[in-house]
Parts: sequence; C-alpha cells; structure tokens
Amino acid sequence: MNTPLSNLVIYNGYPLSIVAALGIHIVIFIALLYLQSAPEAQSLELIQPTVIKALFIDENPQLRNQQLREQRLVEQQQRQERQREAEQRQEQEVRRQREAEQQRLEQQQAALREREELERQRAFAEREERKRREADIERRRQQEIATEQELSRQQEAARRRQQEATEASAAEAARTEFELVQSATALIQRAVQEMWSRPPSARNGMRAILRIRMLPTGEVLDAAITESSGDSAFDRSAENALYRAAPFRELQSLPINVFNANFRSLSLIFEPEDLLN
Amino acid sequence: MNEGLNPIDLIFDASPAVQLVFLILLTLSIVSWMIIVQRWLVLASAQKGVLSFEQRFWSGMDLSQLYKEGTQMQREDMQMVGMENIFRAGFKEFMRLRQQSSVDGEAVMEGAQRAMRVAYSREEEKLERHLSFLATVGSVSPYIGLFGTVIGIMNSFLGLATQAQATLQVVAPGIAEALFATAIGLFAAIPAVVAYNRYSSTLDHVTSSYITFSDEFSSILHRQIHAN
Repeated sequence: MNTPLSNLVIYNGYPLSIVAALGIHIVIFIALLYLQSAPEAQSLELIQPTVIKALFIDENPQLRNQQLREQRLVEQQQRQERQREAEQRQEQEVRRQREAEQQRLEQQQAALREREELERQRAFAEREERKRREADIERRRQQEIATEQELSRQQEAARRRQQEATEASAAEAARTEFELVQSATALIQRAVQEMWSRPPSARNGMRAILRIRMLPTGEVLDAAITESSGDSAFDRSAENALYRAAPFRELQSLPINVFNANFRSLSLIFEPEDLLN
Repeated sequence: MNEGLNPIDLIFDASPAVQLVFLILLTLSIVSWMIIVQRWLVLASAQKGVLSFEQRFWSGMDLSQLYKEGTQMQREDMQMVGMENIFRAGFKEFMRLRQQSSVDGEAVMEGAQRAMRVAYSREEEKLERHLSFLATVGSVSPYIGLFGTVIGIMNSFLGLATQAQATLQVVAPGIAEALFATAIGLFAAIPAVVAYNRYSSTLDHVTSSYITFSDEFSSILHRQIHAN
C-alpha cells in the first residue's frame, strides 16, 4: 500500500504516537482527579469488638467554673462602666450648673450696670439665653447617647473577636486532643480487660456501668456502679478488675488540660460480648 | 481524618524514594504507550501492505512490469512496503546475474535467494524494533512498583516506631501511598504485556507470509531459468 499517508505513518509515526500516549495519560489523570473530587469518600466507621467500653461524661466542672468566672468578669466590667458613665454625667451636670450660675451673676451685674436699659430688651435677652441653654443641654444629651452606643458596639466587637479566636484554637487543639484521648482510653480499656475475670454467672447481654474518678497521677479515686447488671457477682468482678488494673500510670504523660477535660470522671461499660452462652 | 485521602495528594505527600518510583513508572508507562501506538501503526500498515502486494503480484501482471511500477513509485519518493522490498531485491539480483552469460542457472537462483534473505531480515528488523522494550516494561514495572510499596511500608513502620500509641490514622496514609506504587506498576505493565503478546503474534503472521512469498517467488524464478 504505497500511499503518501502510509509513508507518513511508517516513518513519521513517532509524533502521532507521542501525542497519543501523552493524551491517554492526561485523560486518565483528569479522570482520576474528577472521580476523587466528585464523590466524597465515606469515612469508614470502625466497629471494634470491645468487651469494655470507656465513655466520657460530658459534664466538666472545671470548664463550667471557668465559664462562670468569665461571665462574672464581664458583668463586673459592665457594671463599672455604667458607674463611670453615671459619674461623668453628674460631673457634667455640676459643671453646667456652675456655668449657669456664673452667667446669672454676670447678668445680674450687667443688669445692675444697665438698669436704664429697656425692660423689653432684657426680657428678650433672657429668652434668648434660655433657648440657647436648652439647645446646649439637648446637644450634650445626644452626644452622651452616641458615645454610649459607640462604647457598647466596641465591646460587642471585642467579645465576638475573642470568641472567634478561642473557637479557632479549640478546633486546632481538638484533633490532637482527640488522638491523645483515643489512645489513652484504649490503654485503660486494655488494662482493665486484661484484669477482668468474669464470674461463671456472666451472660451475653449483661451490662454494668462503672463510674470512676481519677487523679492526674492515674490513680483511681473511687468507683461506683451507676448501672448494675443485675448480677452482683458480675458487678463485683468489674469493680475488682478496675482496682487491679489501677493505677493507670500512662495518664501522667497527658497534658493536664486534656486530663481535666476527659479523664476526671470516666464511665466504663462492662459487656461480655465474646461469651458463647 | 474527616475527608478521604486523595490519590493526587498521596503522590505529592509521598517520601522522595516513593516519588522517584512514581516518576520512573510514569515515564515507563508513557514511553510504552508511545511504542504501543507507533507499533500499531507500523504493523497495521505492514499487514495491509502484504494483502495489497499479494493481490498485485498474483494478478497475472508481468514481473518486469511490476518492477518498473515499483521504480516509478520510488522515483516519486514513496517508500516501499515490506513484501515489495523483498520482491525488488530478489528480482533485481536475478536480472543482473542473468545478463551475465557466464553465470549458470543455479548460481543465479542462489544469488536471488540470498538477496531476498537479506531484504527479509532487514524488513523483519524494521517490524521488530522496540517490541522488546514492551516486554521489558511488562515484566519489570510490577517489580518497580513492588519496590516502591516495600519502601513506603517501611517508612510508615519507621514512623510508627516513634509514636507512643499506634493508631490506624498514623499508619494508613503511608500504606495507602505504598499500595498506590504497586497500582501504578500494574497500570504500566498490563497494557505493555497485552500489546507485546498481540504484536508478536501479528509479527509472526507477517514474517511468515514474507517467507512464504519469497519461496513462491523463487520457485517462479526457478521456472523462468529452466524454461529457456
């Protein structure tokens, strides 16, 4: 087949093939990008066949105290500001009265000096004066209101900024904190699980919840059954396992704020899921 | 780890050794695809050339007429395709030897056959070129990918050793990155192997038809010598 096209194909086939090869790769790359960007990969929920689960109690005295303290501080500041404003207003009032008195004195002197002046003129001047004073008072009041509004707006902005900053830093810290907490709970779970010897009366579906309070050293302060399994031997075995596993020395390495937020009080759920009967 | 890992991020976040593996595999893949396309063009035109030339050859046309047509085409700067080159080499040698009266029939036949053999091996070499590269890519790139995987998993375990508590989140990206190297290795290897097998069977087909043709042609020449 001796056509110009076939000659081109044989001897100059390289440019065409280079373009084709690059094209294929680029298409695949773009397809990969598109496929990855379109459907958000579903995060796999890891279901661990745990025998003991550690749960966190949401209530956190330290945090609540801190919030209360902040609230109180803000209230105090507001009260102080209000007082300061009142004082200022009083001062202004006093100053105005003094000015008015001075003016009145001057007027009296003027009146004395210009007693021969016409009654009508004086009355007119007085009326003018009163009008001016009233206008003055009105203006000052408006100014006060404006400054007050400005102040409150600034306070609001500052509070919002502070809140945003704390939220951002909290989100940043949450991730590492989450990992720390996860590994620490896993440790506690494992330690307790190893020490747990179940009584023969344990059955699948039994469930005992043990609430423990801990110190930052990892020692267990006390433990109480908050939900009994209905079998006292089972409850006792859970408690024994905890005391034998304690203290959890690994918790010492946790930052104190993480500990306070998560491990002051912890609930352990004892569930024998691996039994045959 | 709220959002899923993106393979693209995986490539750019990988360790240098694994990135090097990615780069090598990508290059191999591009070059092998280039050869796949180029060989496809060459082999397809060779197959077509065999068919069309055989048609012309067996159409009962005078051989010297055919040769003249070929010369005309060459003069028009068209390249000869496979089988026609063999025919022209053999026929040219045959005519030249026959014009010398001192050479006897057997020697003329031998010379023509030798010329055809040379042309045949030249044509075969033309068709075969670069095919061995495809075979190499097909067999080697899975190993390169595996190498990247081993390096990646090694790295992720080294990273694991420095962690106090091992969580899945620490190991998972490293292993995903490592497995991605194997995936790219296979991605480069599979088309290369398929193309190599396909092309070598096509090559066998074309070269065997060349051999058959040169045998047939030499038998025709033989008849011409012994006819006079």
